[in-house]
Amino acid sequence: MDNQLSPIRDKLAGIERAMETRVFLPCEAEHVYEVCRFLFEELELRFVISTGIDAEDCFEVLHHFSDDASGALVTVKAFVRDREAPELDSITPLIPGAEWIEREMHDLLGIKFRNHPNLRRLILEDDWPEGVYPLRKEVQT
Amino acid sequence: MALGERMDWKLWSLKKSIWVFHVNTGACNNCDIEIVNLLTPKFDVERFGIKLVGSPRHADALLVTGGGTRQAAVRLREVYRQTAKPCVVFCMGACACGMGIFEKGYHMAGPIDHIIREVDPGAIIAYVPGCPPKPEAMIMGVVKALAALQPEEKYGTEPVGQPVVADPG
Repeated sequence: MDNQLSPIRDKLAGIERAMETRVFLPCEAEHVYEVCRFLFEELELRFVISTGIDAEDCFEVLHHFSDDASGALVTVKAFVRDREAPELDSITPLIPGAEWIEREMHDLLGIKFRNHPNLRRLILEDDWPEGVYPLRKEVQT
Repeated sequence: MALGERMDWKLWSLKKSIWVFHVNTGACNNCDIEIVNLLTPKFDVERFGIKLVGSPRHADALLVTGGGTRQAAVRLREVYRQTAKPCVVFCMGACACGMGIFEKGYHMAGPIDHIIREVDPGAIIAYVPGCPPKPEAMIMGVVKALAALQPEEKYGTEPVGQPVVADPG
């Protein structure tokens, strides 16, 4: 796996192996599209789902890919450092299946996905106030 | 049964065969599956005249599942307004009775009885707790609600329908 990842090695902050079949690829937000493109198109991994986390000092967007041949799960962990205006590249132009999960992360955490074709509200109710993102740490309910 | 002055025909016809409309206000589908289970041959609530209908305008009762999300609350009020009165609202499951584990959720407008009472303070509301309630409990809830609609002193001399047993055994 490490050899396979060498073309994008300079875009990653490291390669963490939690297990033989569990790989984390931490990277900065600006490289997320290129890393995901490599995994999806060159290594032909299957996109599973994404996760958005408010980690207090930054936002983390995790794109999970599965290598069905080996059963390995590869997670691209992108750090979005700007808390005021969190923004990173959408992977929807590359993987249409990521559209709704990116809309959901935009709804709940307020992360803007650049080049997303349809970044409308998805799961919050119609009269939810603008600019309130319920899964952010500072929001108390 | 002769036409008597003491008869409340609206109530009498309501109790004879309750047609129910099923409203999901953000349930996890577990209660909904148990409601569908009521219609299967094992429980077969159609023997009591209880039937699922496709429109609240045809319904005598609302089977409400889920805690009442902010998005669903507006729709639930609208459905209640459209239901022919008198009608009974059944809160099916822990979420519908008191929002359950979603009590402090940012997306909740419930519980169901508060949402309904905003429209009609005098609404008839029955509660069937459980996560999910057993089909037997749902049948028992319906039977008890019917019994509550029929005060002993008013209809004590008029048997309405067959005696029902909640346990299908």
